[in-house]
Amino acid sequence: MVEAAAIGLNAASYVLILVLVALGLVVVFGVMRVINMAHGELFMLGAYAVIAADGLGAPFWLGVLAAPILAGAAGAAIEAALIRHIYARPLDTILATWGLSLALKQAIVLAFGPASLSVPSPMDATIAVGTFAYPLYRLIVMGVALVAILGVFIGFFRSGFGLMVRAVVADPRSAACLGIDPALVHRVSFTAGAALAGLAGGLIAPLISVDPEMGVGFLIPAFLAILVGGAGPLAGVLTGGVVVGGADSVLTNWLSPVLAQVVVFALAVVVIRLRRGPVGGLR
Amino acid sequence: MSRGEAPSWFGMAVFAALALVPLLAGEYWTEQLTRYLVFGMFALSLGLVWGQGGMLCFGQAMFFGLGGYLMALATTGMLGPLFASTYAGLALALLGAGAAAAAIGYFLFWGAGLSGAYLAVVTLAMAYIVEQAVRSSYWLGADNGLSGIPPLDFGLFSGHLVIEATAPRYYLILALLGLAYWLLVRLSTSPFGLVVAAIKGNPMRAAFLGHRILAVRLRVFVVGAALAGLAGALFVATDAFASPTLIGFGLSTEVLIWVALGGREMLLAALLGALAVRLLEGWLATYLGDYWLLGLGVVFMATVVLLPAGLIAAPLRHLAGRRDA
Repeated sequence: MVEAAAIGLNAASYVLILVLVALGLVVVFGVMRVINMAHGELFMLGAYAVIAADGLGAPFWLGVLAAPILAGAAGAAIEAALIRHIYARPLDTILATWGLSLALKQAIVLAFGPASLSVPSPMDATIAVGTFAYPLYRLIVMGVALVAILGVFIGFFRSGFGLMVRAVVADPRSAACLGIDPALVHRVSFTAGAALAGLAGGLIAPLISVDPEMGVGFLIPAFLAILVGGAGPLAGVLTGGVVVGGADSVLTNWLSPVLAQVVVFALAVVVIRLRRGPVGGLR
Repeated sequence: MSRGEAPSWFGMAVFAALALVPLLAGEYWTEQLTRYLVFGMFALSLGLVWGQGGMLCFGQAMFFGLGGYLMALATTGMLGPLFASTYAGLALALLGAGAAAAAIGYFLFWGAGLSGAYLAVVTLAMAYIVEQAVRSSYWLGADNGLSGIPPLDFGLFSGHLVIEATAPRYYLILALLGLAYWLLVRLSTSPFGLVVAAIKGNPMRAAFLGHRILAVRLRVFVVGAALAGLAGALFVATDAFASPTLIGFGLSTEVLIWVALGGREMLLAALLGALAVRLLEGWLATYLGDYWLLGLGVVFMATVVLLPAGLIAAPLRHLAGRRDA
């Protein structure tokens, strides 16, 4: 029972972080049809923001606050300098953002070195229920991630700006005729997507080892979660994240972490392929 | 002259210049360039699949690495005495990579098929899966890979004809590369090549004209993979070492960068892209250190945005256009 609770909570925290990363990715893909291969590096920037804050002696939570701001600012700069020029060539965004991911990783190697770093957990407290104890920080991470995810959904489905975003997704030209500025929507969406990745990276920094290659370990499951989740604006990410992240996290208890990942990714690839089925197509 | 390919006099000039390398450059650079030629062959395979076939494959190193590991397993005798020869190794690499590509290709392209971004993400995930699986396989030497791979030996029966010295090996690989390039150019100018180009341009229209898209895509994918497998086999025989980096996602994306920088739609430019990037890396990395990769990433980004035809293909196309006019 105690063991099952730990497995469940570990799975839930991994799923929530994964959904946060995937949500940023899907906002960018859904709104702009841009595949951002550098999304993992924005996640990495968030984690390094916490490392840098720790190095400067700033309080931990200031680092976590800085993470989405830094990643968001990077996102805004990337949109202006790079993405804006290749909207018309969606496949080339994959290549260009791949070059960006390479450059960002290497910039971090230059600034912080290639070795993996860690930040101490800001709190050692655990919450105990009977004989079961769980680290408080992990619970807080889950709470913050949950609030951020809810925030994105509310912003997308309930706010005025969300309505504009959905209009641009549906038909950019008609939206522009109605006075919505698609360029502004794109800019804000990309920035928001980057900030979500940064937040996820900042939150998870004390829980994993932080190194320049950490991005891809979340980028690939995030992509798979999106493609497994499939249809539906944003909502698919939740299903996909729960399936991919949950299965990976739970299987790790019986298989080696590498084998669990191999099994889950392979199944995800098969599911993605079958979902595409013999009909329909995206370009 | 073929559609979109470099002028044939230029291709001949490139291969003639490459043939002079062992005479002019020292032992060290000839040795290095041997490896770069193998990477050039690998780049050709992606040039075929992506540039000509329009299939953006983020996992081409799966086939390079498979060819390499099959060669390593065969020639070190791990598959038994029957396969313990260079001939068996090369045959296994070609056929094994081709067969794997037939299975993977069928899985990817059957029905409506994956294309564009979906294909990129799925092949990327596949390369990641394969690399992780190889890294955790003790039979394949896990992270350490397989070492002690014998050099190429074309002796028949119990005789030996070992190609190990720098210059003969260089010329052997250059000849194979030249043959591969010539065959691919022939393929792209053949009627079949025209169908491939039609399907890349507009799959639906090509289907309405009665072409079987799946069969054509599969053929291109398999030929590309077999060539990548051959390159992988030659690489491990040259290096005497097969490691998981050969099969994974890192090399898959590297080859994509070489091809995109050179020029994705021109086979010779893809080949030269690989040679140029590797040469510059071998030469500049000692001076630039960690800044090399940063620079490569930035140049790659700029090329994709500003000159998507490629840094080598664009001027060559200009040259070809002027001659034709």
